[in-house]
Amino acid sequence: MERETLDVDVLVVGGGPAGLAAAYRLARLNAEQGGEPLMVAVLEKARAAGAHMLSGAVLDPSALTDLMPDWKSRGAPLDVPVRDDRIYFLTARRALPFPVTPPPLRNHGHYVVSLNRLAKWLAEQVEAAGVDVFTGFAGTELLYEGDRVVGVRTGDRGLDRHGERKGTFEPGVDIRARVTVLADGVRGNLTKTLIRRFGLDAGRSPQSYAIGIKELWDVDPDRLPAGSVIHTMGHPLRHEEFGGGFIYALPEGRLSVGFVAGLDYRDPLFDPHVAFQRFKRHPLVSNLLAGGQMVRYGAKALPEGGWHALPRCHADGALIAGDAAGFLNSMRLKGIHLAMRSGMHAADAAFRAVREGDVSGARLSEYARLVEEGPIRRELYPVRNVHQSFAGGLLAGLLYSGMSLVTGGWWFRDPMPSHAGHERTRTVKRYFGGGVPPEPPGVPIDRALTFDRLTNVHYSGTRHDEDQPSHLLVADTDICRTRCIEEYANPCTRFCPANVYEIVDADAGAGKRLQINASNCVHCKTCDIMDPYQIIDWVPPEGGGGPSYEGM
Amino acid sequence: MTLVIAEQRGGVLNPATWETLAAAQQMNAPVTAAVVGARVQDTAAELAAADVAEVLAVEHEALEPYTPDGFVAALAQVVEATGPERVLFPHTYQTRDHAPALAARLGRVLIPDCIGSKDRDGQRVFVRPMFQGKFVADVLPEGPAPHFASFQIGAYRADACVRGAAAATVREVAVQLDAAAIRQRPEAPFKEAKQAVDLTQAERIVAVGRGIKGQEHLPLAQELAKVLDAELAASRPICDSGWLPMDRQIGSSGQTVAPKLYLAVGISGAIQHLVGMKGARTIVAVNKDADAPIFEVADYGIVGDLFEVVPAIVAALDGD
Ligand SMILES: Cc1cc2nc3c(=O)[nH]c(=O)nc-3n(C[C@H](O)[C@H](O)[C@H](O)COP(=O)(O)OP(=O)(O)OC[C@H]3O[C@@H](n4cnc5c(N)ncnc54)[C@H](O)[C@@H]3O)c2cc1C
Ligand SMILES: Cc1cc2nc3c(=O)[nH]c(=O)nc-3n(C[C@H](O)[C@H](O)[C@H](O)COP(=O)(O)OP(=O)(O)OC[C@H]3O[C@@H](n4cnc5c(N)ncnc54)[C@H](O)[C@@H]3O)c2cc1C
Ligand code: SF4
Repeated sequence: MERETLDVDVLVVGGGPAGLAAAYRLARLNAEQGGEPLMVAVLEKARAAGAHMLSGAVLDPSALTDLMPDWKSRGAPLDVPVRDDRIYFLTARRALPFPVTPPPLRNHGHYVVSLNRLAKWLAEQVEAAGVDVFTGFAGTELLYEGDRVVGVRTGDRGLDRHGERKGTFEPGVDIRARVTVLADGVRGNLTKTLIRRFGLDAGRSPQSYAIGIKELWDVDPDRLPAGSVIHTMGHPLRHEEFGGGFIYALPEGRLSVGFVAGLDYRDPLFDPHVAFQRFKRHPLVSNLLAGGQMVRYGAKALPEGGWHALPRCHADGALIAGDAAGFLNSMRLKGIHLAMRSGMHAADAAFRAVREGDVSGARLSEYARLVEEGPIRRELYPVRNVHQSFAGGLLAGLLYSGMSLVTGGWWFRDPMPSHAGHERTRTVKRYFGGGVPPEPPGVPIDRALTFDRLTNVHYSGTRHDEDQPSHLLVADTDICRTRCIEEYANPCTRFCPANVYEIVDADAGAGKRLQINASNCVHCKTCDIMDPYQIIDWVPPEGGGGPSYEGM
Repeated sequence: MTLVIAEQRGGVLNPATWETLAAAQQMNAPVTAAVVGARVQDTAAELAAADVAEVLAVEHEALEPYTPDGFVAALAQVVEATGPERVLFPHTYQTRDHAPALAARLGRVLIPDCIGSKDRDGQRVFVRPMFQGKFVADVLPEGPAPHFASFQIGAYRADACVRGAAAATVREVAVQLDAAAIRQRPEAPFKEAKQAVDLTQAERIVAVGRGIKGQEHLPLAQELAKVLDAELAASRPICDSGWLPMDRQIGSSGQTVAPKLYLAVGISGAIQHLVGMKGARTIVAVNKDADAPIFEVADYGIVGDLFEVVPAIVAALDGD
C-alpha cells in the first residue's frame, strides 16, 4: 500500500508534559542558535491537546521555569499556590494527622493545577513557536532502517470491527524523522516495543506501577480553601498494599479527589475501583464531598519503580522521555516536572545530534549524561529504594522512607530486589490458603458519593468509533475461561476501571467467555501492566478516540 | 498548456468542473478543456463558454457507460496527442476511480485532493491538506511532465471561472478503443434500498437488553414489538454481538429517541443507555433485579423474569 510520508528532523510522540517540553525546547534552540531551523512535529493520540491528561496535580514549577522563564506573562494556568499541606493516616473511622510533614512531601512553592489545562496551554505555546502538533493521530509502530529508528507510522483510519476497510478508509502516514523522541507516557505502546527489541531494561529492576483513579468534584467553596493539599495513607488499603489518597483544592470549590493503588498487590480479588469508593466513604472525605457533585472521572497508571527501574533511554535514532521511561518520584507523587525536565534534556541531545549529522545511540547518549548530571538524578537517586521498601508492607516502607532521608537512600541491599507487580499477585488458592474465597469486597453504590464503573466512565467523556477493530489484543482468550477463571478469578474485571472486560455466558450454554468492550477504554494501561499471564497488549485505537479529561 | 478533464454523466456537466477550470485559469498557461463520453457535443458547447483556448470533445461509443478501463485508454491517448504540461481533474468519485490508473499507465505523478497551487520560481507547486486538514503541504511534483493533480470540491468557486469573450472552438478528438479490452461490465446504477428504520420517528419502541440471554430468544421481543406495533431496538451488548444491526442501538453511542412508549426488557439502565431514551414520555421496564437503575427512570416497572412477563403481555394484548 502506498502511504503518505512526511519528513521531519525531530518527531515527538506524545503531547504530555514531556513531549511538549521537548518540542518547545527544540523550537527555542532553533530560534536561539540560528541556522536552518529543524522541522519538529508532535503526534498526540487525543483529539484535542491535553484531552488524555490525568494527573493530581501539585506542580513543582522548577522545570517549567527553566523551560520558559516568562510563563507567568504568557498566561500559564498556575493560579493556585499550595497554601496548606497535610498528611493523614486513616483508620476505618478516624484520620490521624502526621504531626509534621516530612520535607520531601512539603509542597511550599508549588501549585495546584489541572494538567489538562496546563497541557492545552503548553500546546498553544508550542504551536506558536512553529511546531506542528498533530492531535488525533496515534503512533502505532516504529519505523526502522536496520536497527535505527527512522520515524513512526500512524494508525489506519476507517477500518470496521472485522478489520475490513470502510468507505472512509485512510491508510496511516509514515512520519520519517532523524530523531524520534518517545514521550508516549506510562507503558507507552511504542516505548514498550523499543525496550523489548533492544533489551533496554536489561540489568535494571523491573518497572513497577500504580493505578490512579480520580474524580473532580464541585463542592461548597467554603469546605476547603483553594491551594489545600491533603494526602492519606492507610484505609482502605491494608498493610500489604501500597498507595494512598489525595485531595487537592482548586478555586471555586473544585476538588481533585484521587486514589493511587500499587499494581503489585497480592490479593487477586483486590479491586482499585472499590478501594477508591471506600476511600470516598471515609468521613474525612465524605464530609468534604457531601452535597457536592462529581463532574469528571478518569484513571491512569503511573510508573513507580524510580531510579533503578529506568531503562536505557537512548537508541539509534530514538530517545525516551517522561513517564514512558519512568521519570517519576513516587515518594512525592510527582512526575510532571521530571517529565518536562527529561523532555528538555532529550531535546538538547536530539538538537545537537541532528545538527552534527550523527543520530547514533552513542551520540544520543548525551541525554543519559544530562540526566545523570542534572536535577533528575539529584532528585531520584536518594529515593531510589523507597517504592521497593513498601513491598515489605506499609510500616517497613514508612520506616525506610524516614531512614532514607538520613542515609541518602542507602540500604543493606542496593538496589533493593523487586519483582514485576503482576508476578506478585497470588492465585486465589494460594492467597486464601485453599479455603473458599470470599465474595470480592463490594461497596454500596448510591450514585451520589459512590459510583459503579459504567457511570464513572460516562464522566470520563470517553468516545471511540465503535465500528473498529478492538485495540485490546488478547493473545489467547481461552486462558480467560479455562485457567484464569480458576486461578485468579479474572482480575481484569476488577483492575480495569472502565468495565472493558466482562466474563459473560457463552452462547448456547457453552460456559463462559471474555467480552471486550473496547470502546469503554480510558487508556489507563493497567491491563497491559497487570494481567497475570501478560497476554493483553494495548495498542492505540483509531486516532482521536479515548477520554476527554476536561479540567482534570 | 493545462488540460482540464471535465466530468459529465448522461450529458450533465458536473459543476465541480468549473471549479477546476478556475484553478487552471490561475496558472499562467493556456487552458484546454476535454470532455469524454459517447455523446458530448452539448457539454462541450457548454464548456466553450469558459475562457479557454479550446475544448476537446472526446467521443467513442465504448465510453458510455463509464468504465475506468475505457476512460484510462481514451485519456491516455488524449494526453499523448496534446502533450500538456499538466492535467487537472475535479476530485470526484469518478476521478478517484480512474485518475490513479491513468497516471500509473503514463508513469507520471498524481497529486490528489489539492486545494490550491502556486508558482514558486517558475515551478508549479500544489497545495494539499494532510493529516485530516490539520496541516497544509506544498507539493512539488517530480519527474517529467505532464503532472496530474485533482482539486478538492469547494476549494475554488465555480463562478471564479472566467468566461470567454466569445465561445471557444470545440475540436473533436478521435480515440481508438477496443471494447473487448474493457474489463468492467457496469450494471445499471442502483440506489441502496435502505430499509427505513428511523427510530427517532417511532411512536413506540420495544428495547431488548442482555437479559434476553441468547439470539435464539429474540423472536420473543419481536413478537412483543409486533403486538404493540412498535419498532425493535436494543442496548449495546445486543448490537455489539450482531444480534441486531447497529442502527438499532439506543444510547450515547447509538440513537437518541423520545417515543411515546419505551418498553425496556432485560436492560439494566446504564447511564449510557439512559441518555438515549430518558426523554420517552412513558417508560416501562421489565427486569428481574429490583435494584436495576432502569427502575429509577421507569414510570411503570415490572420486577420479574422476562421469559414469563413478556409472553404474558403478548398474550394479553393479542387477546383484544
Ligand atoms: C492520579 C495521578 C496523580 C498524579 N499527581 C501528580 C502530581 O500531583 N504532581 C505531579 O507532578 N505528577 C503527578 N502525576 C504524574 C504525572 O501526571 C506524570 O508523571 C506526567 O503526566 C508524565 O508526563 P508524560 O508527558 O511523560 O506522559 P503523559 O502525561 O502520560 O503524556 C503522554 C501523552 O502521549 C500520548 N500518547 C501515548 N501514546 C501515544 C501514541 N502511541 N501516539 C500518540 N500519542 C500517544 C498520550 O495521549 C498523552 O497525551 C500523577 C499521575 C497520576 C496518574
Ligand atoms: C463509552 C460508552 C458508550 C456506550 N454506549 C452505549 C449505548 O449507546 N447504548 C447502550 O445501551 N449501552 C452503551 N454502553 C454500555 C452500557 O454502559 C451498558 O454496558 C449496557 O447498556 C448494558 O446493556 P444491558 O442493560 O443490556 O446489559 P446488562 O447491564 O448486562 O443488563 C442486563 C439486565 O437484564 C436483567 N435480566 C437478566 N435476566 C433477566 C430475566 N430473565 N428477566 C428479566 N431481566 C433479566 C438483569 O437484571 C440486568 O439488569 C456504553 C458504554 C460506554 C462506556
Ligand atoms: S482496557 Fe486496559 S487500558 Fe483500557 S481502561 Fe481497561 S485497564 Fe485501562
